Amino acid sequence: MKLKYSTRVLTLILSMLMVAGCATTPAKPTEAPTATPTEAAPIKVGLIAALGDVSGINGQNGALLAEKEINAAGGVLGRPLKVIVVDDEMTPEKGAAAVDKLATVDNVDAFVINSFSGVHMAQIPALKKYGKVTIVTGAASHLCEEAIGEDADWYFHLHSWDYMQGEGQKAAWQAFAEKYPDIMFKSVFMAYEEGAFGTASYQFSQKLFEDIATLSGESFKSAAMGGGDYSAVLEHAKAENPDCFTWVGYAADALPILEQAKSINFAPKFFVGAPPGWPPDFGESPLAEGVIAYEVWADALTEVSDISKSFYDGYVEMFGSGPDNYLAPLVYSAIHILVEGMERAGTIETEALIAALEQTEYKAPTMEVITFSPSKIISHQAPLTPMLTQYQGGKLEVIYPWDRATSELIYPFPAWEGR
Amino acid sequence: MYATLALSWDMMFRSGQPGLSVAGFFGLGGYAAALSFLYWGVNPLVSIALGCLFSLLVAFILGLVILRIRGLYFSIATMSLSEIFRVIVMNWHRFTGGPSGKALPSAVFNGDSAKIFWLFLVLTLLTVIVSEIFERSRVHFALTSIRNNEIVAKSSGIDVFKYLVVVFALTSALQGMIGGAYAHSYAFISPEGSFNFNFVLLPVTMALFGGIHSTLGPIVGAVILGVVGEYLKLQLPYGHLLVYGVIIVIVILFLPKGIVGTAKERLKRKWATI
Repeated sequence: MKLKYSTRVLTLILSMLMVAGCATTPAKPTEAPTATPTEAAPIKVGLIAALGDVSGINGQNGALLAEKEINAAGGVLGRPLKVIVVDDEMTPEKGAAAVDKLATVDNVDAFVINSFSGVHMAQIPALKKYGKVTIVTGAASHLCEEAIGEDADWYFHLHSWDYMQGEGQKAAWQAFAEKYPDIMFKSVFMAYEEGAFGTASYQFSQKLFEDIATLSGESFKSAAMGGGDYSAVLEHAKAENPDCFTWVGYAADALPILEQAKSINFAPKFFVGAPPGWPPDFGESPLAEGVIAYEVWADALTEVSDISKSFYDGYVEMFGSGPDNYLAPLVYSAIHILVEGMERAGTIETEALIAALEQTEYKAPTMEVITFSPSKIISHQAPLTPMLTQYQGGKLEVIYPWDRATSELIYPFPAWEGR
Repeated sequence: MYATLALSWDMMFRSGQPGLSVAGFFGLGGYAAALSFLYWGVNPLVSIALGCLFSLLVAFILGLVILRIRGLYFSIATMSLSEIFRVIVMNWHRFTGGPSGKALPSAVFNGDSAKIFWLFLVLTLLTVIVSEIFERSRVHFALTSIRNNEIVAKSSGIDVFKYLVVVFALTSALQGMIGGAYAHSYAFISPEGSFNFNFVLLPVTMALFGGIHSTLGPIVGAVILGVVGEYLKLQLPYGHLLVYGVIIVIVILFLPKGIVGTAKERLKRKWATI
């Protein structure tokens, strides 16, 4: 039988793929040889982050700074530390493939994962397969917690879950209400991006804020997802005339929302934003003045904490400017926590390392003392108290908690005229 | 996965109709597979077949309506389908989990990557077989004549509408099938992930890169771009996507018939001179 040329080439390609499949079959990834490194061999930590996004770049920078500091101080267990970074490209399949690559090709000793929730969900089956110690600095969705389950003692979550963020924000506003009873808001309008992040935030806020203020809301399509027109949602918000307007979206929404709010002259008493990160140099826009942000990190913390200042100075020295968001100090902390755990355990063996990490009491640049305790499902969850911060004179100032405050609240949100 | 999507897109494009509903039926099949497994305990492999059938059924019904339009209008209509499916899934909170999506208790084959590789390879092979059947049967002549001149095709006795509906339903079924496998391999499904426009852009790019209107072209495009993408990521961790994009632009600019189309043409010319 004479085959067509194209059929022959196609058969060749498929045969090669089958050979590739056969080649992978006998070597079960879980049984991959755990090479005993020589004394000089580095201890390897695999970092997975979205390198096409400011959050991933900041996370990666935080890890590289920690790596530099640790190696300058003599490494870990007498060996150098090596952070291997893989881009998850913000897609689930690439994020899952990154876990496989780091575990089997690079043979890393532990993971630090800075991926978004949607990507992290796809990584979970692979992480369970390898069972290596993993510190997660991203992924806020409670679905990730459900998918991980209660048996994963190797899983340490540094970022707060979505339901915890709402609780932290509520606590912050309640403390604020006690200090400033005359200026507290009674009605809130929440504009939230229509995806999982925004919708979950709105759902949790509905329950949490019911005894503080009346809450209404409407979704919008984020500029990060191909949207960017907020006129309808802003008009509805203006019609309701709330004391507080909050938007939950991404960095790409920050300036357009303010521009469009200005164009319809919508200036509620509180203008709050809750993106995972802000655009670089956002504070330099005159529109940013008076905007309140939930944050875990602000450069201003360097004024009240030596640990924050040391981190910030090191970051500026290495990368030329300060971090754009909290993921830099968070991933930096994750690497230090991991290394301190290895030193306490005296080994990188999983069980001993887990036990040592459970003893963690790490003073982070975010001014949080990081310890691990159970959350709703997992057994190792760190606290992450959101700060209330406000853009004032081009700078992000901390206005709550009181022990970290670097400035007083500007109230009400300044009018749009003249900016 | 991308080879299957690229090939199924090309199979429809052989009729001259540039459909853009790949992500839509990929997501629909994924949801059908994941939800049937989650709510009714259907075996994962059977649920993938259910996702395939569900996509086929929906595409057949919708095809009866939208295949009366052609060209750019067809593209826009098919692209809208993906958006409509996404909006329905996002707002049907109780059943689909809404924007948060649904997590499955475990991945297919308990996440064994070797077995998952074989599953995807078998599904790709199935798509190749369907494509080759198209190539070697009267469907090939019907689609080619519809693409060349629909009026001539009609006057030659070809039932243009019937062929288009059948091909649209079958290619959508293949997309639904691979969507089901995708959902099961990661034990998670969400509207943002499954109806992502990347599932249209990448397969179309791969088909154009490899060469359209053949079985071989989209497969070659998907394999090369897949391998090159991963290789670049290893070599250039911080600029791989940029170089990847430049390679695609250069190949499509200088090899408009794709790699396979250009290679075939050159070989033909060479043989003609011998």
